[in-house]
Amino acid sequence: MSTINFAAREINCKIVYYGPGMSGKTTNLKQVFAKVPGHLRGEMVSLATEDERTLFFDFLPLDLGSVQGFKTRFHLYTVPGQVFYNASRKLILRGVDGIVFVADSAPNRLRANAESMRNLRENLLEHGIDVKEVPMILQINKRDLDGALSTEMIRAVIDPKHELQWHEAVADQGRGVFETLKTVSRLVLERLAKGQ
Amino acid sequence: MIEPSLALYGDAFDQVETQVEDLLAATGVRYCLLVDRKGFVLSHKEALWAPRPPALDSVATLVASNAAATAALANMLGERTFSEQIHQGEQGAIYVESVGDVALLTLIFDSSVPLGRVKLHAKKTITVLSEIMRTLKEAPPIKFDADFGSNAVSMLDDLLG
Repeated sequence: MSTINFAAREINCKIVYYGPGMSGKTTNLKQVFAKVPGHLRGEMVSLATEDERTLFFDFLPLDLGSVQGFKTRFHLYTVPGQVFYNASRKLILRGVDGIVFVADSAPNRLRANAESMRNLRENLLEHGIDVKEVPMILQINKRDLDGALSTEMIRAVIDPKHELQWHEAVADQGRGVFETLKTVSRLVLERLAKGQ
Repeated sequence: MIEPSLALYGDAFDQVETQVEDLLAATGVRYCLLVDRKGFVLSHKEALWAPRPPALDSVATLVASNAAATAALANMLGERTFSEQIHQGEQGAIYVESVGDVALLTLIFDSSVPLGRVKLHAKKTITVLSEIMRTLKEAPPIKFDADFGSNAVSMLDDLLG
């Protein structure tokens, strides 16, 4: 549940970008950072290795404005996608209000997508929650790749029941980045409005 | 959800603000923050003489993440938690201590400030803050107006197109 500070009239929500390594999670945040006006966002913090792979997380605070007098702030996080950083991924998921699952369209990444989704389910369950309890959006990234997997194939392994809203994206060109963020933000705020 | 929700309002918020302000005065630290476990700032006070603080969102996030990582390390070593963290540099230091399971008290101060004084006053304040936080958990659920959802969507349209 979001942190609500009634006296300061603030609503704070945490959105986590999840997905396999190199799928474009950090790229999404960099695009948001680059395109949102400076007065609406804070500094982007990246805890990365020397070769720019996410080590712990990337973080970007975003001020969405006021809703019914409440200053609404979203904290965007990425997790490290590489398999061996699972302890870090579990920590980042603490207190999550919404998830963007960034899938990779590269032909050789179908299994990595499926394993990352399974890992997400397992990590959420370790926190005692079902993946269906958290607002989640699927972003199918890298649609410009030669030989990109079909969206049907990717959805079949990640969301076989077709329960998730999804967007196609080419995050490094900014395509689909804001559509994805907008959809997940809307789901989180609608859930908040219902008092869940 | 995964973490308990925090709804800080009314008397509780005023009491927290007073405690944080008193702690700032008693210790002589630059900045005093109460941060929730998700990395959001619940309360923040800074000394009149202190320079402009660094980005508080970033400070809070790194403090909460560091505490989460330290707690995970403690569990691996068979401890329930390591309650306090101290990071000392040449010019200054940061002291972080848990306020129950929901928040972290964070003090940032110059190296001229005695650490013992900081810890002494911080622990007294934490006793009071823990009691305030305990009452917060019993706060009634919050209801937004019926228009909240549609207003939120309009705001997103304005910002994100």
